[in-house]
Amino acid sequence: MHAILKFAIAFASALIISQSAYAAGQLNVYNWGDYINPEVLTRFSEETGIEVSLDTYGTNEEMLAKIQSGATGYDIVFPSVHMRDIMQKLGLLHDAKVNTLNGFENIDPANMISKVDPESSFCLPYAWGAVGIFYNKEEAGELKTWDDFFALPDKGKKITMLDDLRETIGVALIKNGHSVNSTDGDALKQAEAWLLERKDKISAFSYDIVSLVQAGDIAAAHWYVGATLYTLEEPDKLGFVIPEEGATMYQEDICVLKDAPNKDSAIKFFEFYMQPEIAALNTLQQVNGTANAPARDLLPPELKANPNTNPPPEVVAKLQIFEDLGNDLRMYNRVWTKVRTAQ
Amino acid sequence: MATKRDLRSLSTLLTPSTLFLGVFFLGPLAVMVIFSFLEPGIYGGVVWNFYHWNYGRILGWADGEWEDFDPVYIDIFLRSVRLALTNVGITLLVCYPAALWVSGLSVRWRTFVVFIITLPFFVSLVVRLFCWVLILRPSGFLSTSLMGLGIISEPIDIIYTETAVLIGMAYILLPFMFLPLYASIEKLDHSLLEASADLGANPFQTFWRVILPCTLPGIAAGAVLVFIPSLGNFIVPDLLGGAKVMMIGNLIEQQFLSARNWPFGSALSVMIMLVMFMLIVFYLRRIGRSEIVR
Repeated sequence: MHAILKFAIAFASALIISQSAYAAGQLNVYNWGDYINPEVLTRFSEETGIEVSLDTYGTNEEMLAKIQSGATGYDIVFPSVHMRDIMQKLGLLHDAKVNTLNGFENIDPANMISKVDPESSFCLPYAWGAVGIFYNKEEAGELKTWDDFFALPDKGKKITMLDDLRETIGVALIKNGHSVNSTDGDALKQAEAWLLERKDKISAFSYDIVSLVQAGDIAAAHWYVGATLYTLEEPDKLGFVIPEEGATMYQEDICVLKDAPNKDSAIKFFEFYMQPEIAALNTLQQVNGTANAPARDLLPPELKANPNTNPPPEVVAKLQIFEDLGNDLRMYNRVWTKVRTAQ
Repeated sequence: MATKRDLRSLSTLLTPSTLFLGVFFLGPLAVMVIFSFLEPGIYGGVVWNFYHWNYGRILGWADGEWEDFDPVYIDIFLRSVRLALTNVGITLLVCYPAALWVSGLSVRWRTFVVFIITLPFFVSLVVRLFCWVLILRPSGFLSTSLMGLGIISEPIDIIYTETAVLIGMAYILLPFMFLPLYASIEKLDHSLLEASADLGANPFQTFWRVILPCTLPGIAAGAVLVFIPSLGNFIVPDLLGGAKVMMIGNLIEQQFLSARNWPFGSALSVMIMLVMFMLIVFYLRRIGRSEIVR
């Protein structure tokens, strides 16, 4: 009892001391779950004395809804590019003049893809990656194309796709030769029919499949390049491929919110993160693509020479990114409801 | 009968709960009803224009611009009702014999068993459901143990099926059926059973004509308590059904998040609430009252 009490007092005073030691400032980060190397945040706190708090979300929409409903206290968020365009249009972002900050010369112009902020004045391009096929080689063999993927169920193997209307309808649009941002009713009808034909073959629409692919319960899954984390651990058993027909890609930017209470800390974080070694430190743990060009050279060969995390230009050219669809999103939603409801 | 003082103390006692319900239940409910008649905003939220398509769309009517006529939402609703009713049946079949058995135990054991049944509530629902994914998958616990025992030769494959959804829903809602059943079975007057036996009824007749009617309020309460969360559930169909079995709860979740159509989500919610409300009124009229009379 006595020891516990002593410990509690020591712990409480340690907390108080550490708080006063970190009087340099505060940075409240609102990010996707597991989407930044914790070591990056620790190093930032050590170097600047700014204390970092981290909150997480699961979808762009969840984050948007929370910010729109007046959640205050967050300084920086990590929206996908189409979502940051929406947020900028809605006046939720602060113009941080990112392109005037120290280290901005490291940012690859190829990653400045925002439609409303092509000069990257509001947000800092963060990370990107392809969405392809994560598979178990023992069950699926080697895969190269979406056709290979959809041939698996005929051999009694299971496949899953993402529980995300844009991603999964996106694959159908790509296979039918349309843009993943198509708002043409006929193109969407074609995509819908294409997915409905394959509905029976798809075992599930899910994100939570990593352990099932590892165990071989699922032979192959439509998933993110982040799967490279697992394929590097067991290269003989697990694989990831960007299908030859093309695929979708994601990119997130880091943005400062209009109501951010600690805008100075946010600017410091941007400058900290634009250092190539810090971006490389993050990429090492996240195993995706970084927008920081010199950082790519600092990566170990298994990531640098990896055709998935650092794809050659001809593959990058086949990757499509989502744009904001405005009201036309309702057409996609309609297709998605039909696909998911079909028996 | 009630004196002024009784009234005063009564109103003092009821004020906090009335305020609480008013602010945290009726307030959001009013927002939901109002939203269900408005136009959806492009990026979530609402535009303050009257918009009647939300309810029409549930029935399949098309607004001509974004929708074609298609009663897909009615299908989803009927499927949800079917699954929820099946789930009521499963939990009833599992819990009734269990509750009968528990009510026959000594007081100390009864308390222990009731404690055990509420124990899973201490663990997060998502964690428990993910355990079921691990149990039900082909290389999982269920399949390997049955194969190890030589009962089956091929791995059973029920993950991402309607069966898996039913197993998961029955699992999470069992306590809601068990507890009201147990409460009404425990209250059962044993002299009635003796009387029934004395008058020449066999055990089956005693069960059918005495025990069952006496515990009907418990069955009805359990059925309502299981039916309502089953109908609105969206986590189980997502995790165990692989999002292939779409229920009304998934549809509503989708409207508020990825589809960014809050008014349609609100209209669907209002529709479910009305169905639930009618069910509860029916319950109170038919069964609840007979219990009070007794």
